Amino acid sequence: MDGFALCLDDYTMSSRVRAAKKQSSKGLSLVTSLPEDVIVDILARVPRCDYPTISLVSKHFRALVASPELYARRSFSGNVVDRLFILRRKTNGNSSRLVLIPLLSSLRCFGGYVTVGSMIYVFGGIHNDNSTPWALTIDCRSHTVQPLTSMPVHMYNLTANIIDGRIYVIGILDYIHRKKMMVVFNTETQKWEEPAMVTPDIELGNTHRGCVVMAGKLYTRNYQTSFVYDPKENKWETDEMLSSKNWYHACVVDDVLYYYDCDDKCLRRYDPRQRCWGVVKGVEKLLAMTRDTWWSRTIHPSFI
Amino acid sequence: MSKKNIVLKSSNGIIFEVEEAVALQSETIPYMIEDDCANDTIPLANVTGDILALVIEYCKKHVVVADGDGGGSSSSSQEDLKNWDAQFMNDLDQSKIFNLLLAADFLNIKTLFDLTCQFVADTMIKGKSVEEVRRTLNIEKDYTSEEEAKARQENEWAFK
Repeated sequence: MDGFALCLDDYTMSSRVRAAKKQSSKGLSLVTSLPEDVIVDILARVPRCDYPTISLVSKHFRALVASPELYARRSFSGNVVDRLFILRRKTNGNSSRLVLIPLLSSLRCFGGYVTVGSMIYVFGGIHNDNSTPWALTIDCRSHTVQPLTSMPVHMYNLTANIIDGRIYVIGILDYIHRKKMMVVFNTETQKWEEPAMVTPDIELGNTHRGCVVMAGKLYTRNYQTSFVYDPKENKWETDEMLSSKNWYHACVVDDVLYYYDCDDKCLRRYDPRQRCWGVVKGVEKLLAMTRDTWWSRTIHPSFI
Repeated sequence: MSKKNIVLKSSNGIIFEVEEAVALQSETIPYMIEDDCANDTIPLANVTGDILALVIEYCKKHVVVADGDGGGSSSSSQEDLKNWDAQFMNDLDQSKIFNLLLAADFLNIKTLFDLTCQFVADTMIKGKSVEEVRRTLNIEKDYTSEEEAKARQENEWAFK
């Protein structure tokens, strides 16, 4: 019976092919008269850097380039190169371009990233479905990658930020116990600091929404609670006022936190000195032009 | 052991007799044999004679012949095959290429399907401008000027 079903499939295919040939005889484009899955197969073999061009060829191509089927086909055929790009702004204009970083093709996301001047520090990440303790720097001027001494421990779900030349990398040691751990990298000596691991004396939970630095202190949060870490006293505390808003993907300008609240469609600010929340006024028209998405991020102007 | 031949019939009635090993590079044909979709002759109602001749030429070149040790080896070296494939595709016009692609899809000959898809991607799309792709593939612009400007604006980051 399996064979019978296959024969039926073949007849379906033949009628599809006949339709394609009929169209082509009218002088229409041969490629667009191909079955949709065959066109997807062709586009999956074109380098991704050509996709912006392809999307302008026709509305049909634009829809195909945006379709999840294309990316599923790319991964199915093994035609996938995970790439890390840097967004550059030309010094003589306001246009930007993406630059491909070689050597990082096998490193997947979920690592911690920190920018220091023109350098990006990358910690951990997923390689061949396993977490790595890798640490490296990307020089944004030369687009080169330099390895650093690996992290002293394997950690998952990393988040990182820098205070006074020290990068604090927070992650969980294993998925079973979900024990939080912090390691510290000194950017001056380019070494990991001792002791190799610091266990926060507070239950941090899932801090995947990142961390920010304000006035020499590290702020992070889980689903319910915001935390502040003072490196001078090596002390973790909760911040009740900061916890009162569901902040995420935030950035800090002049020691004030900003984030886009997609529920209330406003840009919120938090000043840790006054311990109060506010709403940025005068950007309502700009925000109305943005799509409401949970993935909206605020970015410090120096990073654009 | 004598070699078994298979008879294929194109949509326009042209008969091709090929060795079984050549025909069985198609994963569709075995089902047509086993399930009585065919008796002595296998009709391929959607492949014309000129395209079927190309398919058979490709399959003959790529046939894997059994060696004395019971394993398999290609009749040509990998490098030779690659050069042959490139020449084979280069000699075809666009209409033949797309019909060959459809035939490879229908007959389920994976290596030929991959070859033709990759050739189309590399020679007709990769690295070309919007206008070049439209001209090469005979695609009419269906964007209004406003829509195209908007799409370009959305893609602007990638065009610098």
